[in-house]
Amino acid sequence: MADTQVEIRDYSMFDAELSGTAMNLTLLRRLIKWLQPYRRTFAFSVVLVLISSTLAVLLPVVMSIVIIDHIILQEVDVQTLDLGTIETTEWLAQQSGLSMIAAACLLYGGLQLMWAVTGHLHRMTLVNSVINGLRDLRQDLFEHLETRPSSFFDRVAVGRIMTRVTNDIEALYELLRGLGTLIGEFVPFLVALIIMLAVDIKMTGIFMLAIPIIALATYWFRQQTGSLFRLIRQSVSTMNQNLQENLAGLQVVQLSHREKYNHRRYDRINSENLKFESRSVKLETLYGALNDSMVSLAIGSILWFAGGDVIRNQISLGGMILFTRFIDMLFHPIVVLGQQFNVLFRAMASGERIFQALDWDEKVHEPLNPATLPKRLSGTVEFRNLDFEYDRGIPILQNLSFTIRAGEKLAIVGPTGSGKSTIVRLLGRFYDIDDHSIFLDGIDLNQIHSHDLRQRIGVVLQDFHIFSGTVYDNIALGDQRIEMARAVQAARTVNADRFIRELPLGYETPLSERGQNLSQGQRQLLAFARVLAADPEILILDEATASIDTETEVLIQEGLRELTRARTSILIAHRLQTIQQADRILVLDDGQVSELGTHEELVASGGLYSTLHSLQFQDTDDPPVN
Amino acid sequence: MIKSLRKLGRFVGRYRGRITGGICLFLVSRLLEATIPLSLKVGVDRIANGNPDLFMPVLSIVAVVIARFIVVSWARIAVRRAGLLVAFDLRRALYAHLQSLGSRFFSQYTIGDMMTRAVADIALVQRLISSGTILLVIMVFASLVAFSFMLYLSPLLTLCILPPMPLIFFYAQRAKREMGVASREVQEQLSELGTHVQENFAGIRTIQAMVQEQNEIAGFQRTNQAYADAFYRQARINSMMDAILPSLTAISTIAILGFGTHLVLTGDISIGDLTAFLMLVSMAVQPFRVAGSLVILFQRAAVASDRLFDVFERDPEILDDPKPEVSEIIRGKIELRNLTFAYGPNSVPVLDRLNLTIERGESISIMGRVGSGKTTLLKQIVRMLDTPTGCVFVDDVDVCDFPLAQLRAQIALVPQDPFLFGEPLRDNLTYDDPGRAIDQIWQAAESADFSESIDAMPEKMRTLVGERGVTLSGGEKQRATLARGLIRHAPLLLLDDCFSSVDTETEEHILGELNRLRRGRTTLLVSHRVSTARHSDRIVILDDGRIVEIGTHNELIRKGGIYAELERIQREGASESDFATISKH
Repeated sequence: MADTQVEIRDYSMFDAELSGTAMNLTLLRRLIKWLQPYRRTFAFSVVLVLISSTLAVLLPVVMSIVIIDHIILQEVDVQTLDLGTIETTEWLAQQSGLSMIAAACLLYGGLQLMWAVTGHLHRMTLVNSVINGLRDLRQDLFEHLETRPSSFFDRVAVGRIMTRVTNDIEALYELLRGLGTLIGEFVPFLVALIIMLAVDIKMTGIFMLAIPIIALATYWFRQQTGSLFRLIRQSVSTMNQNLQENLAGLQVVQLSHREKYNHRRYDRINSENLKFESRSVKLETLYGALNDSMVSLAIGSILWFAGGDVIRNQISLGGMILFTRFIDMLFHPIVVLGQQFNVLFRAMASGERIFQALDWDEKVHEPLNPATLPKRLSGTVEFRNLDFEYDRGIPILQNLSFTIRAGEKLAIVGPTGSGKSTIVRLLGRFYDIDDHSIFLDGIDLNQIHSHDLRQRIGVVLQDFHIFSGTVYDNIALGDQRIEMARAVQAARTVNADRFIRELPLGYETPLSERGQNLSQGQRQLLAFARVLAADPEILILDEATASIDTETEVLIQEGLRELTRARTSILIAHRLQTIQQADRILVLDDGQVSELGTHEELVASGGLYSTLHSLQFQDTDDPPVN
Repeated sequence: MIKSLRKLGRFVGRYRGRITGGICLFLVSRLLEATIPLSLKVGVDRIANGNPDLFMPVLSIVAVVIARFIVVSWARIAVRRAGLLVAFDLRRALYAHLQSLGSRFFSQYTIGDMMTRAVADIALVQRLISSGTILLVIMVFASLVAFSFMLYLSPLLTLCILPPMPLIFFYAQRAKREMGVASREVQEQLSELGTHVQENFAGIRTIQAMVQEQNEIAGFQRTNQAYADAFYRQARINSMMDAILPSLTAISTIAILGFGTHLVLTGDISIGDLTAFLMLVSMAVQPFRVAGSLVILFQRAAVASDRLFDVFERDPEILDDPKPEVSEIIRGKIELRNLTFAYGPNSVPVLDRLNLTIERGESISIMGRVGSGKTTLLKQIVRMLDTPTGCVFVDDVDVCDFPLAQLRAQIALVPQDPFLFGEPLRDNLTYDDPGRAIDQIWQAAESADFSESIDAMPEKMRTLVGERGVTLSGGEKQRATLARGLIRHAPLLLLDDCFSSVDTETEEHILGELNRLRRGRTTLLVSHRVSTARHSDRIVILDDGRIVEIGTHNELIRKGGIYAELERIQREGASESDFATISKH
């Protein structure tokens, strides 16, 4: 582009393994951007978790302090923090005329009910904000990838894109849900810690000693499993890729009777995966069992250290029992953190991949101030000294110059690899080209927005793709303006109407993903109908006529004659009789114009075209055609 | 649900010992765990009585913790490994089974769907075994142990735990049903989402060429939203269960608190008994807490199992039932006797009472319009479709009597759609037998006029092709697949319109090579080009599954039928009058 600096960036590394290990705060910060619109719901969920956590802490207090200390032991020597539960119980007993025991049970039941309700509301508000945020992220990701240029899709496999849009987002969901769980765990942790400090500082201190042990075990576990998880991920992905490819090429596999060999190969990857998974199971189990043991050990140490204090009246018995009820609340968050590590780290890697994809700014450069195209283009196309290469140093087109007049039919022929398809791709602006290389009605192609351009150019590509949907859907491609009548008209013009009507449901017949219920010739007829229905000003056919049988070919040629009337057309085909429709023929060789002229001129000149022509139609035992 | 899960028996049964062993160890660990509240009771009672001797209760807690650590680790590893092994076997079996299926199956199911089954559904079954067994032990045994210990402490107080039982049972039943529906829907929507993305990006070039991005994005939004909705519904049912089940079990706790306190005050039980009781209650009600997740686990695994066996229960499309007496070497004679074939029971036959004898060494070209049955005919010979018996004979033996492997090893079919694997070129060219010598591979590439292109590639024969490597053009792919067929030097070579993307010059070269290579071999060649077909010994014109013309080039030209017409059109180009004739057809 003249007006923008084209940056040089290596776009070949989309699939490279990312770091995926460090707890990445940038990642979270970026993720929060998508949660922003749902922050009210999210904030509500945080308030709710505070309430439900407090309730969760109050339940054991009622049990130990109100019931054991106050009602059973009628403790007066040691006063323990009761957070107003004793008073509330007494008030309840007074108001209802129940006994203290019944009132305490009523309070316990009430708190439990409130805990259940607030807990449910907390989870639902959290899930709501997270689901909505991630739905938006997924949508944005899809949108971003959908608009990447061809050069991107040349390199990146569909399977990889799919992983990002499905699995990676799922992993992020796990991450956010995991973080939500951690909040739900750590808030009660803090509340319980405050109460414990108020009850007995020495005991709390002893308790806190256990936390570094658990933390250390967690660290060890992480060290051991970090690389293991990566190996597992890799083997799983290899395994899936292998299966996917085997299914896609199943016909070849069966024809080559390679089933057993492939199965053995799959088995090897499968076994390797089993080996890694088994090792990780061992580590995970030991770590989990250790955590469980710490909880039971804590009960023993409470008994050991607090027993004497209770007897010396330094702490109430209820206070000691309260400590045993809090063990779970103190240790569980760390255990959960450990459990979540796996999820968290996988999610980190996924997050990195998602944001890498979102940051992937590879694109066809669009003009800053795109030219406004007239309502109807006349259709003059000029190539002026065009040079092009896909990979640096391997030129595909060199110094290409020629002009297609408005309404002219130009056929481009040439050996495989001579650059014919590239010309089509460049004309559709699927790749970046230098300024002043191609002109449409005298307008530099780089000054036209690719969308505006593609609406004026109808391309039938070599690999025709069928979408799930009906025949009609495949012709209209969601364009509201193309109604059934117009679709039928287009199909009739390219002679696709006949075979469509023979399908079980005619235009409403559903087509499968790979178009298996249509023959190649039929698929190509459908492709013509699709382009024709869109009524472009410039028509490009790229080798699409190649594998159609002669009768269909005749039908198409007739359709083509209608279609190309008063429309600039570029026909790329190997079959010379198709090309005979063209006004002029351009022979491309090694990315350069080797010959250009009418059929008669080129045959007379005795160059490459006349050789090609005679190869196809003249054998030594036949009289010459011309 | 039971029916769905029982099917898994054949995969799980093998690890019965491992799983049973694990379960037994779990029982031991549970017993150990339950002694901790008892030790606590002794300690609390001593403290309440002012007795400072806490050595024994504390020592017994520590000893139990160590013993439990060992036992529970052992048990968990055994059971989890069993889960891994079952998943391993399932993947293995699924892979093998999918390979025996064919076009009929894949016209109903997409690859994306199969991938979901292979990945997500197997993972669900694995989870059922790894965590499900553990949860089940907790369910049954935890309450047994806890109940007996509680009965020992105070039979009267134990009765208090009973009231919420029926409630929990009925709620669990309802939740189970709801959860099943919700999780099936989530799985379906996820699979839908995957298929949508896969299809979309496979056709991205068309989408962009037709400026359909915005429509596609809007379409995706619907799929995306449907998935989010399903997910939300599932989360709600989950969360309800998380709130309701503990609340129902709290009824037991409250009963124990109320009545237990009364018993302590009347002196029937000690304060240590009450403490131990409260601890045991959480152990006794644990089953009801985990019941929810266990239900989900079973439910999901049942759905997954159904989806897996949906595939497993498909019979292989082609029955491999060889007769022992067939010759091990195919010489190359083909005979079709009254061959009729239709893709479905109600479809119009694609091949209609076809009779044809092709002698060994003969070369035949098959021409005909779209849908006339050319590809179907070739596939019948190698049994890529379910060939009816008594119709296709190779060397006078019914093809159905040959072992499939032999048939496909000695008959080379080059299909219409060129497909290459994401592997080095060399491996692609010698796909059927990776052990071939390198010069054989080059030779085949040479015959397919592909060696120059390979030479131009960065790593020659080692060049990785496909999505992760070098993208080949349509013509290059076609020549690569052709080389893959030629390398086999099969006595029977079937070429299905495989010159459509190569230019005339290249085709000439390949045809020359074929002419040289085909001596002593039978060649069937589907083509639309007269220039390709004319070299053959005989030309067959198919129409609506029947042979309408047969003969040499010159015979057919003289006959002045369809072939002659094709020849004229291809030589001169179609005229307006041709169109009129054909559209009347």
